[in-house]
Amino acid sequence: MLIGIDVGSTTVKCVVVEPETLAIRWSRYERHETRQAEKLAEMLESIHQAFPEQPLESFSAFITGSGAGPLADPLGARFVQEVNAVTLSVEKLHPDVNSVVELGGQDAKVILFKENPETGERQVITSMNDKCASGTGATIDKCVLKVGMNAEQLKALEFDPGKLHHVAAKCGVFAETDIVNLIKSGVPSGEVMNSLADAIVMQNLSVLTRGNTLMPKVLLLGGPNTYLNFLQQAWRLRIPQTWAERGYEVGDSSAEELVIVPDNAQYYAAYGAVVFGVQDVGEAVEYRGLESLRTFMQRGRQARMSAGAGKGLVGSREELEAFRKHYAVPVFNAARFEPGTVVRGYIGLDGGSTSSKAVLIDEQGEILKKEYRLSQGNPIQDTKEILANIKNYVTEQGASLEILGFGATGYAADVLEKAIKVDANIVETVAHMMSAQKYCGDDIDVICDIGGQDIKVLFLQHGQVKSFRLSNQCSAGNGMLLQAMAAQFGVDVKDYAEVAFNADLSPRFSYGCAVFLDTDRVNFQKEGFSKEELFAGLAQVLPKNVWQYVVQIPRMAELGRKYVLQGGTQYNLAAVKAQVDYIHERVPNAEVRVHPHTGEAGAIGAALEAKRVVERRGHSSFIGLDEAIDLHYTTRTDESTRCTFCENNCSRTFIDTTLPDGEVSRYIAGFACEKGTVESKEAVVELGKERKRLKGLYPNLVDYEANLVFRHFYKVPPLPEAGTPVRDERLSRGLFGLGAMRRKVYERPFERSDETAAERRGKLRVGIPRVLNSYTIAPFMRSYLEALGVDRRNILFSDQTSEELFQEGGKYGSVDPCFPSKAALAHVHSLLHPKGNRKPVDYIWFPTLVDLPSFVDHTMANKTCPVVAGTPMVAQAAFTKEKNFFAEAGVEYLHDPLHFDNPARLLQQLHQMWGEHLGITRDESDWAATQGWEAMRLVDEALQERGLEILNKAEKENDVALLMIGRPYHNDPGLNHEILEEFQTLGYPVLSIRSIPKDAAYLRRFFKEPLEEGSIEDVFDIRDVWPENYSVNSTQKVWAAKFAAAHKHVAVLDLSSFKCGHDAPTYGIIDKVIATSKTPYLAMHDLDANKPSGSINIRVKTYAYSLNLYREHLSDQGDNLSELERSIHAKRCELVEKHLAELAERHKGEDAASWASVENAYHAYLDKGAEAVVKVDFERKPQPAERPEEDARHDSRKVGE
Amino acid sequence: MQAQQSQVSTVSLETIEAELKAFEEKERERLGLDKPKQWREERVSDFTRSQRDSTTILFGGLTVMQDKLISSALGAMGYTTQALDCADNDALQLGKEYGNRAQCNPTYYTVGNLIKYLNHLREEKGLSHQQIVDNYILLTAGACGPCRFGMYVTEYRKALRDAGYEGFRVHLFQQSLGAIDSTEESGLDYSFEFFRSVVRAVMAGDVLNLMGYRIRPYEVEANATDKALDRCRDIVAEAFTRKKSVIKAMRRCRDILNEVKVDRLQPKPKVSVIGEFYAMTTEGDANYRLQRFLESEGAEVDIQPVTNWLLYMLWEHRSDALKMMKLKRTPDELAQLQPGHSEKSGHSILGPIVNRIAEAAIRYAFNRYAKAIGLEGYHLGDPAELARLSSDYYLDEVRGGEGHMEVGKLIYTVQKKKAHLVVSVKPFGCMPSSAVSDGVQTLVTARYPQANFLAIETSGDGAVNVYSRVQMALFKVREKARREFDEALAEGGLALEEARVRLNGKRAATVHYPAHREACTAANGIYELL
Repeated sequence: MLIGIDVGSTTVKCVVVEPETLAIRWSRYERHETRQAEKLAEMLESIHQAFPEQPLESFSAFITGSGAGPLADPLGARFVQEVNAVTLSVEKLHPDVNSVVELGGQDAKVILFKENPETGERQVITSMNDKCASGTGATIDKCVLKVGMNAEQLKALEFDPGKLHHVAAKCGVFAETDIVNLIKSGVPSGEVMNSLADAIVMQNLSVLTRGNTLMPKVLLLGGPNTYLNFLQQAWRLRIPQTWAERGYEVGDSSAEELVIVPDNAQYYAAYGAVVFGVQDVGEAVEYRGLESLRTFMQRGRQARMSAGAGKGLVGSREELEAFRKHYAVPVFNAARFEPGTVVRGYIGLDGGSTSSKAVLIDEQGEILKKEYRLSQGNPIQDTKEILANIKNYVTEQGASLEILGFGATGYAADVLEKAIKVDANIVETVAHMMSAQKYCGDDIDVICDIGGQDIKVLFLQHGQVKSFRLSNQCSAGNGMLLQAMAAQFGVDVKDYAEVAFNADLSPRFSYGCAVFLDTDRVNFQKEGFSKEELFAGLAQVLPKNVWQYVVQIPRMAELGRKYVLQGGTQYNLAAVKAQVDYIHERVPNAEVRVHPHTGEAGAIGAALEAKRVVERRGHSSFIGLDEAIDLHYTTRTDESTRCTFCENNCSRTFIDTTLPDGEVSRYIAGFACEKGTVESKEAVVELGKERKRLKGLYPNLVDYEANLVFRHFYKVPPLPEAGTPVRDERLSRGLFGLGAMRRKVYERPFERSDETAAERRGKLRVGIPRVLNSYTIAPFMRSYLEALGVDRRNILFSDQTSEELFQEGGKYGSVDPCFPSKAALAHVHSLLHPKGNRKPVDYIWFPTLVDLPSFVDHTMANKTCPVVAGTPMVAQAAFTKEKNFFAEAGVEYLHDPLHFDNPARLLQQLHQMWGEHLGITRDESDWAATQGWEAMRLVDEALQERGLEILNKAEKENDVALLMIGRPYHNDPGLNHEILEEFQTLGYPVLSIRSIPKDAAYLRRFFKEPLEEGSIEDVFDIRDVWPENYSVNSTQKVWAAKFAAAHKHVAVLDLSSFKCGHDAPTYGIIDKVIATSKTPYLAMHDLDANKPSGSINIRVKTYAYSLNLYREHLSDQGDNLSELERSIHAKRCELVEKHLAELAERHKGEDAASWASVENAYHAYLDKGAEAVVKVDFERKPQPAERPEEDARHDSRKVGE
Repeated sequence: MQAQQSQVSTVSLETIEAELKAFEEKERERLGLDKPKQWREERVSDFTRSQRDSTTILFGGLTVMQDKLISSALGAMGYTTQALDCADNDALQLGKEYGNRAQCNPTYYTVGNLIKYLNHLREEKGLSHQQIVDNYILLTAGACGPCRFGMYVTEYRKALRDAGYEGFRVHLFQQSLGAIDSTEESGLDYSFEFFRSVVRAVMAGDVLNLMGYRIRPYEVEANATDKALDRCRDIVAEAFTRKKSVIKAMRRCRDILNEVKVDRLQPKPKVSVIGEFYAMTTEGDANYRLQRFLESEGAEVDIQPVTNWLLYMLWEHRSDALKMMKLKRTPDELAQLQPGHSEKSGHSILGPIVNRIAEAAIRYAFNRYAKAIGLEGYHLGDPAELARLSSDYYLDEVRGGEGHMEVGKLIYTVQKKKAHLVVSVKPFGCMPSSAVSDGVQTLVTARYPQANFLAIETSGDGAVNVYSRVQMALFKVREKARREFDEALAEGGLALEEARVRLNGKRAATVHYPAHREACTAANGIYELL
């Protein structure tokens, strides 16, 4: 008998197969609850019981799956790689299948069978998910728990493509964040699951297939595909769409016939392992049976454990006791009330990612009662129940409750603001700060809050948030992971620490993303680490994630010495112990305190803020306790709630709450942009007007630049007539061709191409992807073509990046670089398939830009990023791999290299590339390039002029302008997620790097010190902070950071894409530059395809809070400047008086005229000082730059023509 | 008198001004009116000749063999050197702790490896900060982009600063072999001799490594090859230290290697390991000890010698120089000059000629070593040939990492049947390799359906998954190797035992490597018997 075993990340599958017929005689599929060996032993026992006649020697075993490795040897089973096993199964059972998609617990695999046209052999192409895209089945499991659906409901769920919401399936943590947001917004469970299914399908189609098409028949395998009907339906919708898009004919068969789910799909790997065994060509392995496995379970595992294990959490019992005494969160006893009393207080509610917390505080701010509740999926329902509990608690004691005010924070705050009219809706970071200060004093330096999903670290100075760091999507989910770990081992999370403290050693997890940690966990478990050790190891990883991954400040002592730990995770003493040890190791004199109400810190802050607001305002807007408890609400998501204000047609959910006065308050959830927040067209128009007004008041030059660079605005003069004299040079080499090159200048007539070629050029259509570094050189590209006679209407830039554009064209790529590079393929796709009435293009021009021009001087080179430079080649591969989509569309794809940093080489390359295609002479090409450079100059000038206006205004009004430092393509609203508009509407003008005036005379005052010190040669030199400066866009970013650091009216928003390799080395430099100057700064690194609205929201709100404080600081400074001048002048008068008295004494009896001259000199000196006081405001105004004559004469009328 | 008065008042006014200035500073502080402070990187003083005797030069990052030989070669020139151990996962963790977020793995490993060693000096050897800073420097390679390799020094500086080694010197071994210059005052004498010694050590290391990978898979007694290689390494190192003939040392190595017993009649799949330079070269955690893993799974590994990298750098310089040479100036530049103006340009053909000679010298020296040790039939790569092969897919002007070479090597291997499987290994976050080459390779594999290609990303963790993928790919090609072997036997009408008897009769030396016909070495051995 042949036993096939498949040990996956969540389940064990076994089959017993007859060797002759390959018929399955016995099979089982069970979850192993992370006890792989035990579960397998259990199954083997059943097998031996089922076949009592068969002696041990008659069995052979074959084992596959991600958990198979360590078990193969003790069991005496031959190891078979799982994709090979599945491939063999499919070849055996389904010879007509061409593609397989298998979703497992943590792995996703695609197998493609393709016929080699030369040999006729069937080639097998396989791919597995990348590290960053794991957690498919596991993600579904977690989300099922979150939405609270049972197995029956899940089975009955139908896929409805009409009701889908955005979910990022790039990785499990991203998806969970989005799912939490959807649930919090009240989106029904079914829609959430359908959205997740669709996202997983789309993710796999766009990434896992590596740009290949899943040709029919397609086989769906693995647990989720087998058991989830709605997931199958999602595949059956999306796969045929790719066939249609790519022009593959598949006949009349239905999707059910072409995308099939076989019976027993869960056993394919186990069965394939047996098939392998039958065909086996390797060494035979003797099956050792159950006993050997049991011996391994008892002894072998320990022996296999990695020798590199770390220490446990505690060294001794005494140490533990001392720790406990100091750090255990004090037990909270809710207040008791005398019957008949009226309890008056404020409620604060924190609607967190996984739970809702509330506190009732009295008029002095002391906590009377806490409430905690795991989220059930709807924030209004959660709030109603929490309030009912608080009320019952009071009324059960015979007292009554009067709510004076209500404050909310967290994910649910926005919906509650509308539904129950809260008094205060504050951002979590500020809520946490207020709460920490109440309990731990105003002299806190650092607050570290670890919730279920997010890590927030706030740095304080003088009792205010100086700066902050938040976990991004890649560092989220740490608290949840500890909980999930406890749950996996059936341990109550409250007992986590007790278990963890029992470990003497611990596995060393590599810190970082929660998904990677979970992969590590699976591996350590396989190695044999115990529950206790795993718990300890995971707790120890937490401080690394906080301080090394999120905070990124290696010298913690710089942050200060008073640390407060808060957030629900601090109830777990194992996590606290790890944190305290980590901090003390690096800051030996640190005072680390745990917030006494650690889980409710946010809620307390919200309550305190509500108290403050109501006390100041004199009344509360809260609808009332009973009214809130009895609140009637409905949620609706259907065609009628869909947003129709743009072509995205996003699905939305309306949450209608009926207020006590009968008024219905509507909260709209699930919208993707601001338009989605309203219901009527009139409201959209109003919204548009308001936006326009704000935009007028606070210009956004990032957006302005994003549009300007692609516009036609420079009217190129006609080509010179043939025969116009031009200079040229002859090159010759002496010494038989071995000597130096001699160059001789001469004059000759300009050469023109013929009329026919010119006529042809007038009709040609050229498409250019509006992506990557075309954001820098688009004016050149457009004007070059226009100068050669290509009609300006025939120069077509693809649209700005949008979700729709990416969804349509982003499925062809085979690699997973930064989002801007992936989006580039979608842009090429959109040019290949023009929409609506747009005529097709003849050329797609996507040059390989190797270097770029730059204003930064003294650089090693001006190179572009290799990914960005290489993307045109990747696009060529993607669109010619399966078939030549360019040829099919009659389009010529031009991606030849261009060196923009070497004008002479550029001219040669331009002519080499376009010469034949456009039928142009070298003279014409060279002349057109000159026009290109002129267009670039004009764009720069126009932008800088507006930039100067903003900077001058900010200085004059003592206000702040926000400078976006990013790569040029972060101007694309599809890449910057329109974060800048958020600030624009908050009243901050936005500058781009290109819009900063580059006039050396203007800039000199900002770089005075380094210039005088000699650390830089001129204002465009950045060698004082970064000598290895060859990356053109990064050097510009660093220069801009230096400018902002020197200009106190400029705050910085730093944007960077996930996986940006050229930005990464500058993170530390920019940090240093900004931190030294104390410039307000917000970094949004790791931007990716999905828009993390929740995370953007909290960052924007917190930064807005800091910016506001900075504005106040500037205003104070303005006043202080006057005070300074006055006090200096007073001092001057005092000193003059003193000196004159002394002099008068010394020069008694001298000539009166001479004495008068001395006095005059002193008085003149005093007058000068007085003038300074008067002029102080005037002098604070910006000085106009001394512009060179020719600059002042520039013809700005050309811009905007 | 008046002049005297005026002098008095000026002096007094100056005193007042000075007093006021001090007052203003205090007032500014009181009112919070400080000017924004500007940060600048502290420049670290360089390594001078007078410090040479008291300074240990740290370096590393190539194969263990090469690091040892370079150490000996530099030692012979009067330097005190210390090769760092092969970077492991502890180094990775330190690199991540002190480096910038989102770096590529070679950065983390190499930067972390230095910090690890300095920590060792501080914590275990008890050296003070000043002693470490004064007595050690790191010698490393540099570049000017476009991949992050060129920014390593930035990373070293950041990590050193944050790990408490501010002031530690990192010396850049300038990559431009084309621009050899000598600086008298520098502690490192970049003379011709210096470069020659390093290059020779690199080549000798390559040759020994290549021999090891040819013999080890077929050894009869486990570890015999490694033991022999250890002896060979010591012999060659000794030759470098004593400035004796490396050729003679290589001949002695041949005898030692010939003592290893091999069974060449094992049909093993041959796997060519290509990819990003560091990930494919290192033999430690940074690529999950991939080469050894492949051997343990029954494969023969075809490695990429570091010498190929030197040739690539030479080619880059030459290719660019030739392109620049015939460029005309722009119309704007010419408009500044009068017709008839004549001048000599700096672009001399001599540069490319010297470059060619350097290339020929390297090939010649390599081949002499190869011949001496018995590395038969081995040819160094030709970047120009690879550029030609890959031109339809990858523009050779796109640089960074291995540039066009990854694509070129795959095509070359497939066309010439050099290996059964090509594993392209790249570190997590590698820009040119993961994000560009892999994207282009999909087109190559579509055009060459017979290619077995596997790209793997190494992140330091998740080794199980990587091993699993490699096993998956090996499964396909193992059968192919066996088929080639069977076909060879069939062509000669030989049974395996018969072939064994004949082979024994031939008494081929261990170092003998059968001439290439198929990828399978065992099959080639059979063809030689026929």
